[in-house]
Amino acid sequence: MSASMLMAAVLASPDTGGGGVNVAKMMAIILGAIFINNFVLSRFLGICPFLGVSKQLDSAVGMGAAVIFVMTLATLGSWLVYHLLLVPMELTYLRTIAFILIIASLVQLVEMILQKFSPALYSALGIYLPLITTNCAILGMAVLNIDERYGLGESLVHAVSAGIGFTLALVLMAGIRERLETADVPPALRGLPITFIIAGAMSLAFFGFAGLGG
Amino acid sequence: MRLWGEFAKGIYKENPVFKQALGMCPFLAVTTSVENALGMGAASTFVVVCSNFLVSVLRKLIPRKVRIPCYIVIIATFVTLVDMVMNAYAPQLHRSLGIFIPLIVVNCMILGRAEGFANKNTVIKSLADGFGMGVGFTLAMILIASFREILGNGTWLAVNVLGERFHNQPVLIAILAPGAFIIMGFILGTFNILERRKAGR
Amino acid sequence: MGEILRLGLILMLVALVAAVALGFVNSKTAPIIEEQERMRRQEAMRTVTSSLGDSLQFDSLAVEGLANPYAMVDRRLAVVAVSDAVSGDRLGYTFVAYGKGYSSTVQTMVGVDSSGRIVGCSILYQQETPGLGANAENQPWIGQFEGKRISQCSVRKDGGEIDSITGATITSRAVSDSVREGLEAMREQDLFEGGERA
Repeated sequence: MSASMLMAAVLASPDTGGGGVNVAKMMAIILGAIFINNFVLSRFLGICPFLGVSKQLDSAVGMGAAVIFVMTLATLGSWLVYHLLLVPMELTYLRTIAFILIIASLVQLVEMILQKFSPALYSALGIYLPLITTNCAILGMAVLNIDERYGLGESLVHAVSAGIGFTLALVLMAGIRERLETADVPPALRGLPITFIIAGAMSLAFFGFAGLGG
Repeated sequence: MRLWGEFAKGIYKENPVFKQALGMCPFLAVTTSVENALGMGAASTFVVVCSNFLVSVLRKLIPRKVRIPCYIVIIATFVTLVDMVMNAYAPQLHRSLGIFIPLIVVNCMILGRAEGFANKNTVIKSLADGFGMGVGFTLAMILIASFREILGNGTWLAVNVLGERFHNQPVLIAILAPGAFIIMGFILGTFNILERRKAGR
Repeated sequence: MGEILRLGLILMLVALVAAVALGFVNSKTAPIIEEQERMRRQEAMRTVTSSLGDSLQFDSLAVEGLANPYAMVDRRLAVVAVSDAVSGDRLGYTFVAYGKGYSSTVQTMVGVDSSGRIVGCSILYQQETPGLGANAENQPWIGQFEGKRISQCSVRKDGGEIDSITGATITSRAVSDSVREGLEAMREQDLFEGGERA
C-alpha cells in the first residue's frame, strides 16, 4: 500500500468525505468519555481491574497509566487494521478476532519493554499487565470506535479520554479504600461488598455530570 | 457421579461471579432485565462449553508456549459465531445486548476455564465443567436481574408483577448503573452472612 | 529459530481454520441479517406513513444540493419519496434521523406528509440507558411527534413542543433535534408545498 493512500485513508473519516477537526465534537467526546459515560462507572467496562487494583493509590495510578498507554496503542492498531485491511477485503466479520489478537500482542510487547527498561514499574505492574488483555475496556474501546464511526483522530482522543476516565475512577476508589482500612465496616460487608456499594455511590455522583452534555 | 460434581461446582461452590468475581462487566451491564440475562447467559454458556471442548480435544496438540493466543483465537471464533447467529435469528436480543456480545471474548471466566481446567482434563469432564460454569453464570445473572427488573421496572421477564402503579413509578435506580453496583454489594454481603452461619455451625 | 517458526505456523494454522469457519458461517448468516435489516426498515417506513394511505410506494430520492445535517455522527440524510401506488401522486417522504444521544447514536425513522407535517416517528436503533433514555422508543413519548411542524419539533426547554422524558433530556433532545434538522434540510430544497417553504 502506498504512503499517500494510507494518508488519504487516515485523514478521511470512514463515511463522510473527510473534513476538518470539529472542536465541539472533540469536546463532547472528551467530556463524555471522562465524566458522562465513564467507562467504569457508567458503561461497566474494566470492572475487574477496577476491583482488583484499587486497594492502594500507587498501584492504581500505575495501572491507570498502563491502561491509558495500551488503550491508545490498541486503538491506533485496531482502527488501522479495521479500516485499511478488514474493510477493503470485506472481512469485517473477523474484527473481534483481529482486535483481540492486536491487543494481546500489544500487551506482550509492552510487558517486554517494561521488563527491560523499567524493572521497578514492571515489578509493580507485572501481574496486572496480562490482565489488561482481558480488560474489556480495551476491546470495548476498539469496538465502540467502529460502532460510533469515529475517524482516527476522534478514536485516539476517545481512547485517551476514556483511559483518563478509567484512571480517575480507579484513583478515587483507591483513595477511599485506603481510608476504609481504618473504618468500622459491618463484618458482612467487608472486602468486596463494601467496594461495590462505594462504586455505586460514585456512579451515582457521576450521574450528575449528565447535565454537562446538555 | 464425579461428572455431576464437575458440573455442580460451577453453580454454587465455585460460582464464577459470586465466588471468583469473574465476568463482572457483562454481569453488571446487561442485567437490566431478566430477558437480557437469559440471552447473555445462553451466549456465554455456549461459548464456554465449546471452547472447553475444543481446548480439551486439542490439549496435547497445542504447544505450551502459544497456548494462550490459541485459546483466545478459539474463544473469539465461537464468540463471532454467536454474534452472527444471534444477529440473524434474534436481532432484537442482539440489539439490546449490543457491544457486550463481542466482549464475551474478554470474559475472564471463559479464558480461565480453558487455562485452568480444560487444558488438563478429559473432554467429557471439560464439557461438564464448562456447562456448570455457564449455568452458574446464567443463574447469577438471573438473580441480580430479577432484583433489578422487579425493583426498577415492576416486571419480571416483562410480566407485570407489582401492579400498574409501581410500574409507572418504579425504583428507577435499580435499573441504572449505581443500582447494579449497590445491589451486587448487598448480594455479596448476604452470601458472606450465609457462609459465616455455615462455618459457625 | 526452527522452534519459533513451528510455533508461528501452528498459530497461523489455528487462525486460518478459524477464519475459514467464520467465513463459511458468515456466508450463511450475512444475507439473513441483511434481509432482516431491510425488512425492519421497510416495516418502520410503513408504520410511520400508515396514515398517508393504504397502498404506498417508496422510492429513494436523489435531491440535488441537499445539506447533510448529520455530519456530526458521520451519516447522511437519505430521503425516500412516498407516493400513491395507483395514482403515483407524491404524498410525503420518509428519512432516517441520526442524533447523538447519551450513550449511542439514536436512529429515528421519520414520516412526513408533503406539506412537511410529521405523520409518524419510530426509533430504529438506540443504546440509551434502560429505564430512562431507552423509553424514547415507547409510546406515548414517540407518538407525540405526530402532527408536529418543523418549528414545534424541539424539546420544551428549547422552545418547542416536545415533552422531555424525565431524567433523559439528552436523549429527548437528540431525537427531536435530529428530526428537526432533517426536516430543515429538506425545506431548504423546497421539498414541501404550502406552509413549510424556505
